Amino acid sequence: MSIEIKNINKTFNKFDALKNVSLTVPDGQLVALLGPSGCGKTTLLRIVAGLEVADSGSILFHGEDATSQHVRDRRVGFVFQHYALFRHLTVFENVAFGLRVRPRKQRPSPTEIKKRVDDLLKLIQLQDLADRYPRQLSGGQRQRVALARALAVEPKVLLLDEPFGALDTKVRKELRRWLRRLHETMHITSVFVTHDQEEAMEVADLVVVMNEGRIEQVGTPDEIYENPVNPFVYQFIGHVNLFHGRLNTGQVRIGELDITLDPHTEVQMAPVVAYVRPHELEISRTSEDVAIAVTVSSIHLLGPMVHLELLPKDSSEVLEAELTKEHYRQLNLQKGDKVFVKPRKMRLFMGGK
Amino acid sequence: MFLKKHTVLPGFHLALGFTILYLSLVVLIPLSTVFLKAATLSWEEFGNAVLAPRVLASYRLTFGASLLAALLNAFFGLLVAWVLVRYSFFGKRIIDAIIDLPFALPTAVAGISLTAIYAGNGWVGQYLEPLGIKVAFTPLGIVVALTFIGLPFVVRTVQPILQDLEMEVEEAAASLGATRWQTFTFVILPNLWPALLTGFALAFARGLGEYGSVVFIAGNMPMVSEIVPLLIITKLEQYDYKGAAAIAVVMLIASFILLLVINILQWWSSRRYS
Repeated sequence: MSIEIKNINKTFNKFDALKNVSLTVPDGQLVALLGPSGCGKTTLLRIVAGLEVADSGSILFHGEDATSQHVRDRRVGFVFQHYALFRHLTVFENVAFGLRVRPRKQRPSPTEIKKRVDDLLKLIQLQDLADRYPRQLSGGQRQRVALARALAVEPKVLLLDEPFGALDTKVRKELRRWLRRLHETMHITSVFVTHDQEEAMEVADLVVVMNEGRIEQVGTPDEIYENPVNPFVYQFIGHVNLFHGRLNTGQVRIGELDITLDPHTEVQMAPVVAYVRPHELEISRTSEDVAIAVTVSSIHLLGPMVHLELLPKDSSEVLEAELTKEHYRQLNLQKGDKVFVKPRKMRLFMGGK
Repeated sequence: MFLKKHTVLPGFHLALGFTILYLSLVVLIPLSTVFLKAATLSWEEFGNAVLAPRVLASYRLTFGASLLAALLNAFFGLLVAWVLVRYSFFGKRIIDAIIDLPFALPTAVAGISLTAIYAGNGWVGQYLEPLGIKVAFTPLGIVVALTFIGLPFVVRTVQPILQDLEMEVEEAAASLGATRWQTFTFVILPNLWPALLTGFALAFARGLGEYGSVVFIAGNMPMVSEIVPLLIITKLEQYDYKGAAAIAVVMLIASFILLLVINILQWWSSRRYS
């Protein structure tokens, strides 16, 4: 079931939460809405679910207009950040809720309900806790129950609002891998909201980066990472070092560095900003033609990787670099050492501030 | 012995000691004198005092009217609390303040006002009379007075619980296909039960003991509209202290048992849900 979002606008008390947003979620894909808090991603999700009404625009499920449909009739499974389980019902009854409230004609028989719920509980690996109440479960277990509850009604699409946001790192990682596997077996069109770029990159087929009520970029995780369309996306997806400079007929001048680009560019003296990821900075002991002299100001060892903070001679803006532990040992770096860095790869955006 | 737990605010023994002393002085000792007084009667005299037809009629009236009023309050109190929590409208704060008036108003004032309004020639009574509905000076009037008196209890107990209910839970129910009515009965109401029962119990207990507002509107006809507290006062005025004490004992025990049952129900339901 594909979802089409067409020209959605939404305003809350003069605050434009969504500005003319259009997006197509292809059938069977797992899509992440990624963005900083307040970018409108949750509002968009709630509008798709029917929990919020857009000021203008339309929502189509599989080509059919669902804009004016009540949430009850949209057949969407919705998973909330804080689980929103029915605390007076057991795990079993929570999952069975959606089946029990069906009109009598469409309601499955008690044995069917029992079977369906048991199957779902097996799927979320909580069949032993069927008689527990939500308060007796851990956060991760609760969220799995919430997911099973949403799946019980066989929704056409599954919508998850920061589903792992309230969980601790370890459980979060486990659950998102589990969600990924679940999606691979069920292939239900799913949209989840997150502000965690790592989560979006790891889980989603397609990532939608949002900012200030607009969609900045839509692409596969790889596309988004390798080819960010603008500085916002570049900065939002992972760490980045900024170099301010000027572009002049195919040459970029950044501080003392001159880098030759495509000589056919005809831009004259325009300000540019160069973006370099920490792992794209090459560190060497000896100076080369294109290198910046820096002092190592701090070293953090994080498992197999080493994070360095480097202080350039001529500016106070700290550079971040990342290298493997092996490389780090080879260089035999110490705090206070003077070394040279060279960007292995950089991306330029015009009109730096 | 009690298991002693380390806390930042110790003083369990002192606090418990004070509580018992306080309860004794204010509640237990006065109430025990009622029992002592009644104990001076022989069993037969006691039986005659508490089982006279006129007394039995007054039990029925007091418990019946209080129960009815408490039920009415449970329903309308829930409605009022719902409106106050869920919607914002002009004058909401004022309505919120009005809810507590029955607590503050001298009950006699309430009784006289209600009588004036519901009497055959009163503002409301004049329209009800042609329909054959008599309110003032009938048991119905007693229910009206007790409903008025008990209104704040349910509103004030349900309001904070309703406020704490997450909207998301209702949204979850709706997304699972529940209708509004199903969402209310299967999701909201179960969470409100303990508070609703507490409010109901308070309103009911208040109704059992209410005197001031009822005597004006009741008409106080023996066998028809005479409540137990009035009967006790009447006995006192006739210097029948023992008879009054005997009826008081029956009321006390009956009220205690009823409240205990409601409390157990409430404890049971809150244990299930929270």
